[in-house]
Amino acid sequence: MLFFQSLISGILIGGVYALAAMGMSLVFGVMNISNFAHGELMMLGMYMAYYLFTLLNIDPFLSLLIIMPLTFVFGYVIEKTMIDRVMDHPSENQILLTVGFGLIMSNSALLAFTSDPKILTTSYSSSSIALPGGISVSIPMLLSFLVTCILTAALYLFLAKSRTGMALRATSQNREAAQLMGINVSRMSAIAFGTGTLLAASAGAMIAQTYYIDPFAGHIFLLKSFTICVLGGLGSVIGAGIGGIIIGLAEAMSSAYLSSDWKDVLVFILFLAILLLRPQGLFGKKGEQ
Amino acid sequence: MKYMFFVITAAFMLLLALPVQGTGPVKIGFINSITGKEAQIGENLTNGAAMAVDDLKSKGIQIVMVQEDDGGDPKNALAAYEKLVTRDRVIGVVGPYTSASANVVASRADQYQVPLLVPAAAKEEITMKGYKNVFRLNAPADVYSKVLLNTIAPYRPKTIAYVYAATDFGVSTVKTAQLNAAAMGLKEVASEKYQQGQPDYRATLAKIKAIQPDLVFLVSYDADAILLMRQAKEIGLTPNAFLGAGAGYTTAQFASQQDISSLVISATQWTDDVNWPGAADFAVRYKARFGKQPTYHAACTYEAVRIMALSALNSKSPQALCATLKAGSWNGIMGPVRFINYSGYTNQNNHPMLVQQLQSGKYETVYPSQFSRKKLVYPYNR
Repeated sequence: MLFFQSLISGILIGGVYALAAMGMSLVFGVMNISNFAHGELMMLGMYMAYYLFTLLNIDPFLSLLIIMPLTFVFGYVIEKTMIDRVMDHPSENQILLTVGFGLIMSNSALLAFTSDPKILTTSYSSSSIALPGGISVSIPMLLSFLVTCILTAALYLFLAKSRTGMALRATSQNREAAQLMGINVSRMSAIAFGTGTLLAASAGAMIAQTYYIDPFAGHIFLLKSFTICVLGGLGSVIGAGIGGIIIGLAEAMSSAYLSSDWKDVLVFILFLAILLLRPQGLFGKKGEQ
Repeated sequence: MKYMFFVITAAFMLLLALPVQGTGPVKIGFINSITGKEAQIGENLTNGAAMAVDDLKSKGIQIVMVQEDDGGDPKNALAAYEKLVTRDRVIGVVGPYTSASANVVASRADQYQVPLLVPAAAKEEITMKGYKNVFRLNAPADVYSKVLLNTIAPYRPKTIAYVYAATDFGVSTVKTAQLNAAAMGLKEVASEKYQQGQPDYRATLAKIKAIQPDLVFLVSYDADAILLMRQAKEIGLTPNAFLGAGAGYTTAQFASQQDISSLVISATQWTDDVNWPGAADFAVRYKARFGKQPTYHAACTYEAVRIMALSALNSKSPQALCATLKAGSWNGIMGPVRFINYSGYTNQNNHPMLVQQLQSGKYETVYPSQFSRKKLVYPYNR
């Protein structure tokens, strides 16, 4: 029972980690920058879901239809007004810019919403489906996982089939060559950052139903997203997806069979082992490490 | 002539300055976690301190409170204490909030000889090292488990599992709970320490569920408590009682989540339904001013600032203040307060902790009998 319960919990939470990490991986792949404000973008999605639910009574899953376009535009504008200016500068400048932007976001949220954690409670927040053998599946986590699958499939189709998606992939593979082929790489960067913001905010909106919301709630997911991105291969969206599930499973299994205190240790041992054996990450290409 | 004028002016200014130092407002320091992980609880301490200052001012007692933020970090707390005593020249300091910070600052109080009054940090060690300048208002961590287990003892539970935050307070509370439980003849079947702020505790709780303990003893801060109880409900963990130690189980927000918090038993330093002078009135005024119920942190800090200021009024120096705190006794919203030495503690207020249970969405005091109005509901049944 314990094994299957942990397996299900690990896969479901891993799905949300994966969604958060995919946004970060996409931004890194196309723009070659590490977005240290990614956690704050998740926090933005959490607060949006919370207020859309408490003020307008919109279910958090339905609220994604509002959150996604708004956060895409937000990310697009941020890229155009801030990130774009440091694209040709040393990576230290890019890191400092995103760290600073993240600090502004979290401290603005602190002023606006105070440090009181908010709890998003829907009619199904603590509901679960009972399976044979005493196994239970959290309904909000299951729904989050299904939505994550849909968003991942949509992202895959967008990247694989659409002209913009192909241009994004081309920019990701070789920015200069893509530019020579007539692709507007500056616009691609803005689209990638907008999409990354959209994915981070969506992950935030979904985790908000089973987590608490405060101005610093995104920090823990920032670290996890980085770990997942490196594990899956920096810039690989598929790698981020698989990496998220691996981390979720590793956490759940170590909590069940070792101790919850040890789960981070196990995750980082796994992380180091993969880096030693395959430095480019699970799905990264050689030479990209 | 010019020289004479200068000397006379300087002497006159000195004369003017001297009485000001003697009769001016009392200057005390206050170290709190205004930012950082503990900021939410820190806000309650800030509110309690602000109310104490205003209440004292309304009685004509002028005090200056210099507030410092430690961000929940012991290093910052120590720097704040050193700044308060060396640069701001305060006569005494209230705070810090967290056990980790308070423990570090306490270790330096005797060096600077400026009294430190800890309002709400529970780690036993803080007042167990014989520091002469460290005083504590709240009950230490061992009392949390003692009162919780005393409450449940008549029902003769047999097994207990621990789930607790990996913090100084969490470790300290569970360590003494294990001793108290062993003395009661309770068999420990699991002990799970967790890192705060994780989104998923289901696997840990599933492990506890598989063992089916009679009691689950939890130590958690703020929102972790809601997460743990929500996930416990999801996976169907139903022991005979959930015993909650730590701030997370005593908040209005936790009480508002009735489907998960109902019948949870928790230990607290203060409630508004006890007959301590001014407790009920404090709760009413606090709610009117801040729009929410006061937590025990707010009440503890209110009383600590009040005691520090009143004691400092007639003390010309930190050393005199230390003697006043040591000899004094007070009776306010925290009940009778005296800083005494007992059971290895030094300058520790022997504060009687209360046990409350959430019944119909409201915290009801169920232990000790002299303060209880409702009977404990046991076993837990959702």
